[in-house]
Amino acid sequence: MSEERSSEHGKNQLSFKDRPIKILLAKPGIDGHDRGILVLAKAFRDAGMEVIYAGLLPTPEQVVETAINEDVDVVALSLLNGAHMTVFKKVADLMKERGVNDIAIVGGGTIPDADKPKLEKLGISGNYGPGTPISVIIDHVTKRAMEARKLKESGQ
Amino acid sequence: MLDKIIEGIYRGDHRSISRAISIVENEGDSENTRNLIRQIYQRTGNAHIVGITGPPGIGKSTMIGNICALLSERGKKVSVVAIDASSPFTGGSLLGNRIRMQESLTKYGVYMRSLANRGINGGLSRSIWDTVKILDAAGSDFIIVETVGAGQADLDVINLADTVIVVLGPGLGDEIQAIKAGIMEIGHVFVINKMDRQGAYIAMKDIEETLAMMPRGEWKPPVVGINSLTREGYDTLIESICKHRSFCETNREARLRKFRTELQMHIDDELRRKFQKDINGVLKDEGRLEEYLLRRIDPYSAAEEIVEEIA
Amino acid sequence: MSSNTNFYSKKLDEIRDQTPRTNSEYDSWRKRTLQEWNQKTGYRDREYINSSGIELKEVYTPEDIPQDTESRLLGMPGEYPFTRGVYPNMYRGKLWTMRMFSGFGTPEDTNRRLKYLIQHGESGLSIAFDMPTLYGFDCDNPRSDGEIGKCGVNVTSLKDMEVIFRGIDLSKVSTSMTINAPAAILTAMYIAVGKKKKIPISDLAGTVQADILKEYIAQKEWIYPPEAHLRLIRDMMTYCTENMPKWNYISISGYHIREAGSSAVQELAFTLADGFYYVDMGIKAGLDVDEFAPRLSFFFNSSINFFEEIAKMRAARRIWATVLKEKFGAKKPRTLLLRFHTQTSGYTLTWQQPLNNIIRTTIEAMAAVLGGTQSLHTNSYDEAWALPSEEAVKIALRTQQIIAEETGVPDVIDPLGGSYYVEWLTNRMEEEAYRYFDEIERMGGILDAVKAGYIQKEIAATSYRRQIRLEEGKEIMVGVNKYTEKEDQPINILKISKAAQKQQLERIRNVKKTRDQLKVDRALQELEDAMRKDDVNTMPFILKAVEAYATIEEISNVGRKVFGTWKEPVIV
Repeated sequence: MSEERSSEHGKNQLSFKDRPIKILLAKPGIDGHDRGILVLAKAFRDAGMEVIYAGLLPTPEQVVETAINEDVDVVALSLLNGAHMTVFKKVADLMKERGVNDIAIVGGGTIPDADKPKLEKLGISGNYGPGTPISVIIDHVTKRAMEARKLKESGQ
Repeated sequence: MLDKIIEGIYRGDHRSISRAISIVENEGDSENTRNLIRQIYQRTGNAHIVGITGPPGIGKSTMIGNICALLSERGKKVSVVAIDASSPFTGGSLLGNRIRMQESLTKYGVYMRSLANRGINGGLSRSIWDTVKILDAAGSDFIIVETVGAGQADLDVINLADTVIVVLGPGLGDEIQAIKAGIMEIGHVFVINKMDRQGAYIAMKDIEETLAMMPRGEWKPPVVGINSLTREGYDTLIESICKHRSFCETNREARLRKFRTELQMHIDDELRRKFQKDINGVLKDEGRLEEYLLRRIDPYSAAEEIVEEIA
Repeated sequence: MSSNTNFYSKKLDEIRDQTPRTNSEYDSWRKRTLQEWNQKTGYRDREYINSSGIELKEVYTPEDIPQDTESRLLGMPGEYPFTRGVYPNMYRGKLWTMRMFSGFGTPEDTNRRLKYLIQHGESGLSIAFDMPTLYGFDCDNPRSDGEIGKCGVNVTSLKDMEVIFRGIDLSKVSTSMTINAPAAILTAMYIAVGKKKKIPISDLAGTVQADILKEYIAQKEWIYPPEAHLRLIRDMMTYCTENMPKWNYISISGYHIREAGSSAVQELAFTLADGFYYVDMGIKAGLDVDEFAPRLSFFFNSSINFFEEIAKMRAARRIWATVLKEKFGAKKPRTLLLRFHTQTSGYTLTWQQPLNNIIRTTIEAMAAVLGGTQSLHTNSYDEAWALPSEEAVKIALRTQQIIAEETGVPDVIDPLGGSYYVEWLTNRMEEEAYRYFDEIERMGGILDAVKAGYIQKEIAATSYRRQIRLEEGKEIMVGVNKYTEKEDQPINILKISKAAQKQQLERIRNVKKTRDQLKVDRALQELEDAMRKDDVNTMPFILKAVEAYATIEEISNVGRKVFGTWKEPVIV
């Protein structure tokens, strides 16, 4: 490792920006369509992120609890069953309820344009559909992760 | 801020625990980390640390879920740490082991955290030791640490765990011989998973025989066959863990050994830190390197000379 | 246990021995003509491989296929090994069944849609269920909130099924139900509806998917561990073999395996491997293979790589006939027939420039017809975004009608038979499939391979590779990564209102209020007792519970109590 890092206490910590992004991937509804989320899990890993995959059928409560326990930067939700307006909202509401404002939420799946502003209002951004280039998604996740970290840092 | 986190840890608040672990994971041995551990250290020492190791796909996660459930049902507070090796190429990692224990985690409010080995020298070791302390201070009776496969993380777990459980299964074939070579000495409890499968019984006998041939210590490692679907064998497994816990509690030597290992790790770090600047200077000194290149001095002698100088 | 040789490895050796290794005509043509031409005029320098990763040459010649191809590998239509088709007259005898998958919202909505399709000439009904139904949850379970009627029709109790089929003569239609984990419950409900309409159980015609293996592999809609579901399917198989001669109880599905990201060869191999498992299960349950195997049917995906799809379907027929005959000892020709339904690929549809989807679907439908399908569903162009609108469904149906009535394609059987390329590719697909069968066998069979997550990992790896190729522009999707336009979603989509949920909640409240609770409790208790004894057939007990208006979740909960629930292996 670079020599400067280990010369003093704590100097071997990774800087704010270099630290890998920690992301939780979850499908919080009754939905087994996992092709997209599995591709993203691998793509995020290959982009250097630390990925926690919550598997199929976690409840919104479980997703929020996991996000908190793992202290992730970002929660990425995916649904292709049309229930995003109900289920994504539940996740966002629970986060708020638990006083968490420094974990970003992003969404994806089959989300009609009309629903996107409503999700944005809940703090759920991205909301990408099939055919979105992975690089676009990674850029967005990175941007949201950095925002979340800034909040974390100031909150600490 | 730290005070609030520490107060939260004592309450067992998951968010505070999370934040504290993030500090030791992200900040390395910063002042923050040091202060945190300094303050909570008094409150540690109550948890029994169970390390679980074994080849991937052998069913460790399901087994941990079941252990969590059974210990929780006995009124014990359990926490879990899962360690994964990051990709040496991208630094990324992908952890899915939560899936198979999620039900137990939710049902009993078990705290579980994944740690990725970020490839910093010694960084993981220290953060595992510190993470375990945080969970200990949070009132855990048992802390289960899971590692996947071999490597540094495994060694760390073996060193910091009070009880090491080695999980094996049928169908490993010749592999089992290779695996055996490295693990027979470290296990306090051996588990053969998937007892319903062909070859499980043979694997069990194989391990028992190998153990019988080994020099006997005070503790004789039991070999437990389990079936995670039917929960067969789990009572015996829990009993073995508890028995080994009592054994450890009366075994002063084992506890001292653990403390020595940790101390050694920190002393190494401190020493390196203290002299690193000087060492760096030497390493940058091209004149010296030239001597080395021209074969005027061999690496052993050079190192001896340099250490002499610095100290 | 794993051994070095098994039936499949022997077959694999056989195929390899027969595969021509050299092609002197091709080689000399390359030297003589092609290379010079390429140098002079240039060429598109890219990788030429299909979805299965099979590399393709510029051209194929008689030297690429074994010499006895016609006599040994093809045969004539309706004759072993059925490569050219399962029936002697194929579409001259009867056109394929145009079966459009439908179902959404409330039972009333679906009932209207079914009647609409019957009116427009559809010859078979096909029903989609919503997520709570597929997973065995009632509409009033908190988890179902927001999911009612979204991906299909919601069925919570028998009452809903009565509404779906209101005014439809069940003795005149055949009904296909896409249901897996709760397949036995839905079959029981169908029987109960038939009983109320006074139609003899033996007259009920249709199909339930009930292919639980592919759920663990691809679609991931399960309730219990695999062994428990397989046992319930075994019970249903036995019951239907005895009582329902027109009921096809397993539709062995590659469709979802493909949609989950597999290649064509993986779809072929994993689907047939599932099929072999069910055959084995039937034989072990004491059924005669010639008695029950003819009731197994298949369900394939038709994707966009035209010739690869056709080759896949031809190879599937040959493999099934060969293995059923040589490994499972089937004697009757009917047992050897691989009959299949096809659906065009949902994955190839794009939300960008959605009208292009009509073209994609047309090409995929053509492949299915040239591949000799027995029935076909064509996707609607708006399905990348939501459930199809009525207008879009009509175009999709018309697409089939145009192929059937205008193009002349169905006039001649297996028109691509004898094409050097198609025959070579059929052989290659077959070989690759046997390679997988051999590997699966060495892992202890498909069930072990699935439980260990091996198959799922293979599919996820393929799907990731494909995505990377798309990102790198090595594969093209028009409108997505080439010829793109700036556009908003222009589709007029069908919205499922929350009213569906409200209506379903109200209905189930009424059902629970008016039903005889004692009868329900008793039926559920009897079902539990039956489930606990492996040698008791659960089917009559499920029927009894259904007729007492026990809900899908109440019935599933009995199984959850007896068998436990399932969590997938970690495959990431």
